[in-house]
Order: sequence, then structure tokens, then C-alpha cells
Amino acid sequence: MTAFEDLRSEWGNQGQPEVPKDGAKQILKKITAVRKKQRITNYVLAVTASVLIAFFFYVSAYKYQSVMIGLLLMIGALVLRIGLEFSNLRNLKNMDVLTTAEKFKQQMIRYYNARTKVHFILTPIAFLIYIVGFVMLLPAFKDNLSAGFYNYIIVSAIVSLGVLCLFIAREVKKELQVLKELKA
Amino acid sequence: MKEASHFEEIYQANYLKVIRVCMGYVNADEALAKDLAQEVFIKVWEHLASFRKEASISTWIYRITVNTCLLELRKKKYLKGEETFEKLEVAQEEPYAAKERQLKDMYQCINKLPKDSRGIILLELEGVPQKEIASVMGLSHEAVRVRIHRIKNSLTKCVQNDSV
Repeated sequence: MTAFEDLRSEWGNQGQPEVPKDGAKQILKKITAVRKKQRITNYVLAVTASVLIAFFFYVSAYKYQSVMIGLLLMIGALVLRIGLEFSNLRNLKNMDVLTTAEKFKQQMIRYYNARTKVHFILTPIAFLIYIVGFVMLLPAFKDNLSAGFYNYIIVSAIVSLGVLCLFIAREVKKELQVLKELKA
Repeated sequence: MKEASHFEEIYQANYLKVIRVCMGYVNADEALAKDLAQEVFIKVWEHLASFRKEASISTWIYRITVNTCLLELRKKKYLKGEETFEKLEVAQEEPYAAKERQLKDMYQCINKLPKDSRGIILLELEGVPQKEIASVMGLSHEAVRVRIHRIKNSLTKCVQNDSV
């Protein structure tokens, strides 16, 4: 018969790792590195946005209404989705870890409920907007590109969107599982 | 500089407490537990200035530990903690000593519990007073007492029956 006290004693007697000698210093170093990485990410995003805007003017997209609308819809859908991810990351980072475990669990449930809304409402909308934008660009592609390259663009877009759909579906499934566990 | 040395003291005094609780969340995978402990101490550093000594430092750190483990476990890398013991079993052909096997079963049974029950029983196993567990979890002392009683029974039963 295994009594709980035996288990507790077994637990207490188990071997334990050593305290890393320079562990605290390593943590302070890691915090500095993470902040640096965040700054680099911000620069990369700013440069990407600038390149997109420059490209928009370079190809004189504003002269062709359907091309302009198509490009704006595609960029808008991407910006919406990326913006949502950043906002979610910020919400995760701002969760109050100093509160009680019970309140923290409620915060996490709220976070995942909000994520569910993003996945089932906003992501499909962003996806549709992106596809509409892409379809609006097709006549311009057809007029200006070779038949082979035009077909390549269509096939690669369908494949990329399919892969992206599968990836998002897998993430959604994982998050719904986490939500289910939190509510259990 | 003063803050860094205060942090160093807290780290040295609490690291083992933190890592032992973290080990319970990742099926005794030491590498994953170290990653979790690192996340815990990053949060300790970030919030050190807001520690008001209303609670003891250990209660404060246990709260951060339990909450950070709950937050971080959603990441893919921690899911592999579920498989740790199966890997050990395959790798090690010698039969386990009875006590080692019991400890292994205990970790697996803990990992079958809901995550908040895991937090409660890990603190209980660490010998944290129930009043302090109540403060970490945000439950009444009575509620913690009842839940510990239930979790103890199911954990003992699980280890006895090898039903992991």
C-alpha cells in the first residue's frame, strides 16, 4: 500500500539540479538580448513597410485603379493579420503574473476566447480580402506577364494559401485544446 | 547595481524551489524545467521593483512560478516533456529500483492532473504550508484543504495502480 506520505518522502529525497553559478547574470544578459531583438524586429518591419510603399510608387500602381485597389486590399489584409498577432503578443506579455493562479487562469481563458474570435471571424475576413485583392490583380498580370509566369503565379498562390490555411488550422486546433484544458 | 545583487541573492535562495516545481510541470525533463525556471526569473527581475513585501518573497515567487508555467506550457517545446519517461524506459534496460519507478509514476500521474491541480499538489509536495498555497492560488484555505485531500487520494491511487 503506497501512502501519500511515502510519496512525499520520495519526492523530498529525489536528486536535484545544482544552482547555476552565474545563472542570475545569464538571465540579465538574456533580457538585454531580447530587448535588442525586439528593436531589430521593429526596424525590419519599418523597412518592409517602406519597401512596399516605395514599390507601390515605383510601379505607378496609383495610375491603375484596379491594380491600386487590389494591392491595397492585399497589403491591408496582411497588415490586419500582423497587427492582430502583435496585439495578441502584447496582451500575452502584459498578463499579470503577480496575481493569484486562479485570476491568472481567468486572464488566460479571456485571452484564448479573444483568440478564438480572431481565428473564426477576423482571420477568414482577412483571408477573403487578400483573395479579392489578388483576383483584382490577375487581369494586370495577364496583360503584362508571359502565359507561363501567369500560370505559375496562380498555382503558387493557390498552393501558398492552402499551406497557410493548414498551418492556421493546426494552430487553431492547438489553441482550442489549451482553452479546453484551462476550462476543465 | 544594487538591484542586480539583490536579484542575485533572490536567485540563489529560490532557484531550487522554482526548478523543483517546474520539473513537476514537464515530467521531470531537467532541460525544459531549466528553461521554465529561466522564464520565471526573467519575470522576477522585471517585477522586482513592484514587490511590496505584503506577501513573503517565497509566496510571491511561487505565484510567478505557477503562473509562468501555465503560460509557457502552451508552447510546443514543452509538449515533449510528456514523453520524457517513455524515452528513459527505452534507453535504460536495467530494471528500475522500486523507488525510482515510484517517482517516475508519480511524475506521470502529476502530469495527468488538470494544470491548476498540478500547481496545488506540487506546492504541497514541496512542503509549502496550506495557507501559503491558498494565497498563491487565490483560493480559501478551506477550499485548498479539500482539494489537496482529493488530489492526494487520486495521486496515491494512480501511483498504486500504475494507471499512467
